[in-house]
Amino acid sequence: MADEIRIGQRAIRLKNSDITDMEVECFVYYARSDLKLGAGYGGAIAVRGGPQIQKTLDEMAPIGPCEAVITDAGELKAKYIIHANGPKFQEEDAESKLKTTILNALRLADDKGIRQLALPTMGTGFYGIPLDRSADVSLNTVKNYLQNDTGIEEIIFCAIDSREYLPFRTQLDKMA
Amino acid sequence: MIYPGLQDRMVKNMAKNNERSHKAQVVLERFEKKLNRQIVGSLVACVHCGNCTDCCHYVLANPGDTTFAPAYKADQIRKIFKRHFDWTGRVLPWWVKAKSVYTDEDLENLKDIVFGKCTNCRRCSINCPMGVDYATFNRMARGLLVSVGIMPEGVAVVSKDQWEIGNQMGVLKEDYIETLEWLSEELEMEMNDPEAVIPIDKEDVDIVYTINPREIKYDPRTISDAARIFYQARESWTMPSDGWDMTNFGLFSGDDDLGGAVAGRVYEATRKLRGKKLVMSECGHGYRSTRCEGPNWAKDDIDFEMESSVITMLDYVKSGRIKIDKSKNDSSYTFHDSCNNARSCGLFDEPRELLQLAVDDFREMYPNRAENYCCTGGGGAMSMSEYSARRLKSAKVKADQLKATGAKYVVTSCHNCVDGLTDVIKHYKLDMQVTQLVNLVANALVEERRGIPVPEIPVEVKPAVSLSGKKILVTDDEPDFLTFLTAVLEDNGASVLTASNGDEAIRLALAEKPDLITLDLSMPGKSGIETFEILRKDDDTTSIPVCIITGKPEMRRLIYERAVIPPEGYVDKPVDEEGILVNVRKTLELVHKK
Repeated sequence: MADEIRIGQRAIRLKNSDITDMEVECFVYYARSDLKLGAGYGGAIAVRGGPQIQKTLDEMAPIGPCEAVITDAGELKAKYIIHANGPKFQEEDAESKLKTTILNALRLADDKGIRQLALPTMGTGFYGIPLDRSADVSLNTVKNYLQNDTGIEEIIFCAIDSREYLPFRTQLDKMA
Repeated sequence: MIYPGLQDRMVKNMAKNNERSHKAQVVLERFEKKLNRQIVGSLVACVHCGNCTDCCHYVLANPGDTTFAPAYKADQIRKIFKRHFDWTGRVLPWWVKAKSVYTDEDLENLKDIVFGKCTNCRRCSINCPMGVDYATFNRMARGLLVSVGIMPEGVAVVSKDQWEIGNQMGVLKEDYIETLEWLSEELEMEMNDPEAVIPIDKEDVDIVYTINPREIKYDPRTISDAARIFYQARESWTMPSDGWDMTNFGLFSGDDDLGGAVAGRVYEATRKLRGKKLVMSECGHGYRSTRCEGPNWAKDDIDFEMESSVITMLDYVKSGRIKIDKSKNDSSYTFHDSCNNARSCGLFDEPRELLQLAVDDFREMYPNRAENYCCTGGGGAMSMSEYSARRLKSAKVKADQLKATGAKYVVTSCHNCVDGLTDVIKHYKLDMQVTQLVNLVANALVEERRGIPVPEIPVEVKPAVSLSGKKILVTDDEPDFLTFLTAVLEDNGASVLTASNGDEAIRLALAEKPDLITLDLSMPGKSGIETFEILRKDDDTTSIPVCIITGKPEMRRLIYERAVIPPEGYVDKPVDEEGILVNVRKTLELVHKK
């Protein structure tokens, strides 16, 4: 089973890790429209990264559906965080919105000249998108994006446990 | 603005045209998927005999309000079932009072019932002559609402923490490990034995010990006590660095996926460490979730033993692996059965047996075992501060039960009940305290094992972080407590500033930049919560660690509905000198390490 595929010189990798504690250039946080960091990964960002991140977000809020904004990562190991407002709680057209959200995050990363980007298992868990659907949409969207002209060299999907990891690895296998 | 009359007409038109909000439509679609024999049996079997009415602590505290009656609450879910899934309601809806949901407001109204008027304690369920298990389909209804994002804010915060951080209080891994290491060092010093430690991620052990995150964050003494017992029993044990939270908010929120994810992490950690047995500390809903419900939620065929630490401790005492001297617990004690332990898992004789081995003066509470009343903090109620007043009013029956025992201590094998009962005792001004079996067993331990012989007098533990040179701002509106706190801290080398209200605390914090702020929550004028949020949001004070010292339940808001980073420390009043020093030093030490 593969935990990595290559698209030319670029790579999509899968890791079992806490995304907010990773040494990576930039990671995506699945944000709310009011950009309040809140609980879960948001709480970890606030505690580990310091208060400046929320202050910056307060000046940008609110954002629309599928939109994304970027901030510094404060005292986190990463340099930047992309806050992407994806679909939540059985929203209509969730999969197409998820794809748009991911594309907006990728374009924003490109605009900022980011080469290495980590994503969580987008929209799963608390927000209710089934793992297999998220894996399918996320990995295909990212793969297609990396086949075009982009400065991004590496994309890492972070799973917090094996329950999240396995469906993403299955999807990665299909694409290998 | 939509005028009320217009809104009513809009809703009626939606009903007429069978139009629904997207969320209402999703709830109905998912409702159908949740129907199984158990749920349908409970939905159709009610004969409205009223037997459940007298069983519910909400009804007993609100006798004139029929909306608290379990049968009424159940009917609010039942009418949806009838309208869509039962032929009587599809053909003759007006006859059987069948009714659908159309708007998000309908769902919000349902939220108030399923989250705010029931703790899923199951007392009505076991007393229903028709076998209606209201708590089970109330939980199902919670899950339907949660799936479309309709839930109390506290439930959302806790659920998201447990999904993404891996524990329901958002304790970060580094804080968990640091706290265990700190407790381990203290134990080693106390026992003067390098073998007296809290092992982390040790493989091939007999016991993998999992806990409630409340223990790490607000009650680390229970972990120390368990470690002392394991040490005396010469147990081969460990605590996992991941999958250590055996509580499960999926039980409360009705989210079976969360239930499976959380339980699955605990099982995975046990297998990874090749543990022979998974032992859960004293937590009612954690025990039920991990031991009883988790294997189904996680679809896991468990291949190791699982037991409550109550059973583990009882085995130690009965087999002679540890010796306890009950004369060390010389007060009077009663026992409160956790609903999840007693009603749902049948765990009620073992804790009584252990308690009677650990104390002399045990006084039974009536009714008890499966008939006991809820602490009123169950079902996630402690995380829903919007319902606190309703919860505490409904606790009258519990307060009366506690008072009638005349005991000075109420013992419970549930962390949720510890918090629930603590609030009840404060609210009704009862002269008693809450404790757990692990505390009593540890206190009564006959220490047959130590590194070298030491006198029986307590060994003074050298603090890891000295208070000497530390500037501490203490805030409390009670002059006596302010004086006491100042004396304790100054006697231990700290330089103390005092404030008697929130405004003064903010001014001094900005001007003096103390190393630590202690904060009472209940003060006239600006409350402790407001003060705390202002301090946290101000760039100049945001990084100053705060230790809350309070006797009020408002603390829940800071734990469960945080708009800002939670406080670093927490002390529950009443508190003695040792309690203050331990918590202040721990807070400073954790911040120092960072």
